[in-house]
Amino acid sequence: MIWLTWRQFRTQALIGAAVAVAVAAVFLATRGSLLALARDTGYTGCTANCDQIADQFVRQAQQQIYGRLLFNGTALLFLLPALIGLFWGAPLVARELETGTHRLVWNQTVSRGRWLAVKLGGIGLATVAIAGLLSWAITAWASPLDKANGWMSPDTFTARGLVPIGYAAFGFLAGVTVGMLMRRTVPAMAVTLVVVAAAMALSMGVLRPHLVASTTYTGAVTADNIGGISLSMSDPNRRIQVEVHAPVGKSWVLSSDVLTSAGTPWHGPYDPSKCGPQAPSGPQGCEQWIASQNLQQKVIYLGPQKFWPLQWRELGVFLVVSALLAGFCFWWIRRRVA
Amino acid sequence: MTSAVVTEGLTKRYGRRTALSDCTLDIPAGHVVGLVGPNGAGKSTLLQMICGLLQPTAGRLTVLGGDPISGSPRLGFMAQDTPVYAGLTIEDHLRFGAHLNPSWDDEMARRRIDDLGLDLRQKAGKLSGGQRAQLALTVAVAKRPDLLLLDEPVAALDPLARREFLQGLMEYVAESGTSVVMSSHLVADLERVCDYLIVLVNSRVRVTGEVEELLASHHRITGARIDPEKLGPGRQVIQARHTDVQSTLLVRSSAPIEDPAFTVDGIDLEDLVLAYMTEAAESGRDRVLEKQR
Repeated sequence: MIWLTWRQFRTQALIGAAVAVAVAAVFLATRGSLLALARDTGYTGCTANCDQIADQFVRQAQQQIYGRLLFNGTALLFLLPALIGLFWGAPLVARELETGTHRLVWNQTVSRGRWLAVKLGGIGLATVAIAGLLSWAITAWASPLDKANGWMSPDTFTARGLVPIGYAAFGFLAGVTVGMLMRRTVPAMAVTLVVVAAAMALSMGVLRPHLVASTTYTGAVTADNIGGISLSMSDPNRRIQVEVHAPVGKSWVLSSDVLTSAGTPWHGPYDPSKCGPQAPSGPQGCEQWIASQNLQQKVIYLGPQKFWPLQWRELGVFLVVSALLAGFCFWWIRRRVA
Repeated sequence: MTSAVVTEGLTKRYGRRTALSDCTLDIPAGHVVGLVGPNGAGKSTLLQMICGLLQPTAGRLTVLGGDPISGSPRLGFMAQDTPVYAGLTIEDHLRFGAHLNPSWDDEMARRRIDDLGLDLRQKAGKLSGGQRAQLALTVAVAKRPDLLLLDEPVAALDPLARREFLQGLMEYVAESGTSVVMSSHLVADLERVCDYLIVLVNSRVRVTGEVEELLASHHRITGARIDPEKLGPGRQVIQARHTDVQSTLLVRSSAPIEDPAFTVDGIDLEDLVLAYMTEAAESGRDRVLEKQR
């Protein structure tokens, strides 16, 4: 069974391995010069004014080839689960059912359970290996940029560390399951794409904030921790929206509210002589005016030290879901497929 | 007589559709058995349940004295439309056969392919229908099964490929003595190779027996209007057609009919099968009418 699985899968396996190795090689080859840039801008080993130097390093890196590499690497890890689901997962059982070859192979001296076990095991391992290699190469390569930029934002987090492995395993098994249920390759591919994209979006937006305990910070609003102000000149109510920084930099801010001393949300009204384009003192004057209003900030966030615990937990969730899908596949193929 | 397959009240439903209902039959071992019936009689469903691809909804099924299991070393199955892996070569098919079957007879498989004049490096997807069927048969028989099931093996082949295929099958059976069950709706093909016949219509066995015996015991009687009731005991009328002056009866009788009032002719297998199928279709129609009333 191992021989047949290899014979049927070897072209895809070789293409996948070649692409993964080539991509990993590109990232590992340019890692040295990215580190050199970090040294040259003074970011590596900086002791004072680090935020400013970090910004400079990131800006310079973005202007050179590293910006494109970072974008492409992140995009590849975003697409990988869907690609694996589409091209490795969905056709695995669906194509056999579609062409009737399951009737050929299941009448050799091999049980369906073993047939499926070898296929899921072998191609599942290839999936984990390729996702692991790519994620390792890109995470290692991007580490100086992530250190400067932060790595808790949903986009970055999803394309670093361990979670790409979990997503890829899920993509593969979702593809196999959908293919087995739909019995036709092309529709199964389309549905797999939707399922994988929905699962990733759901995990990023809904599930992830609940996987580890978030930190809640309450403190006075000062001119320094105001991150952004938005207001509308034509609004008769003179509403103003104030964003405040998390107390720990490079965090993923889940919610940020400005409250009055009574604890109700504060949205102005602002003083047009202090804030707005007509105010003589500019944005700094507005920030100082806001700070003098005796306001409280309430920020709920996930700090950068939560990165690895969150990575492990999200990986765990996706591996458990993948295992459940695999279990379902074994049950279904014995009971319902013919 | 030992049985290769015994079924009792075997039923298969797909949702609301019933593919086979309450089928009871006994397929003897050591024969080349032809399973004939119109399209939709449940032949494919029956064969797929025998080889364990499908689970029965109800009823009992014994195959080679045990429960049917898919992946059994004792069963060879060639599915309808002879599926093969289009992307794999003939060599690949033989190699996976060798890897997946402990009982694989590689020498025979290669000899068969060689005798057919096929190139081992050719992709199975590029083969003609006849060659594909031969490859599927090779994979099925090189496993050296005790019971070989063939589901409409020649339905899609042209007459020449059909003859070559059946010839190859006969050679294999003569050499190995394997029991074969072969379904078809083409009686002429079965006549060439089968020595045992089962006619299945609407899940019911209409007639079963060794081909020679069936041919010897069925007669066509023609004469002036005959009352079927008056033919005497031990004679069963399968089909009767009457005109004003003449009657044509198809009669099953073990004893020869010697009555100067009639002309008695033999009957070929195709007419015999058709008579049973027609009879089944007509009684089926009566049932429908009764329900409507």
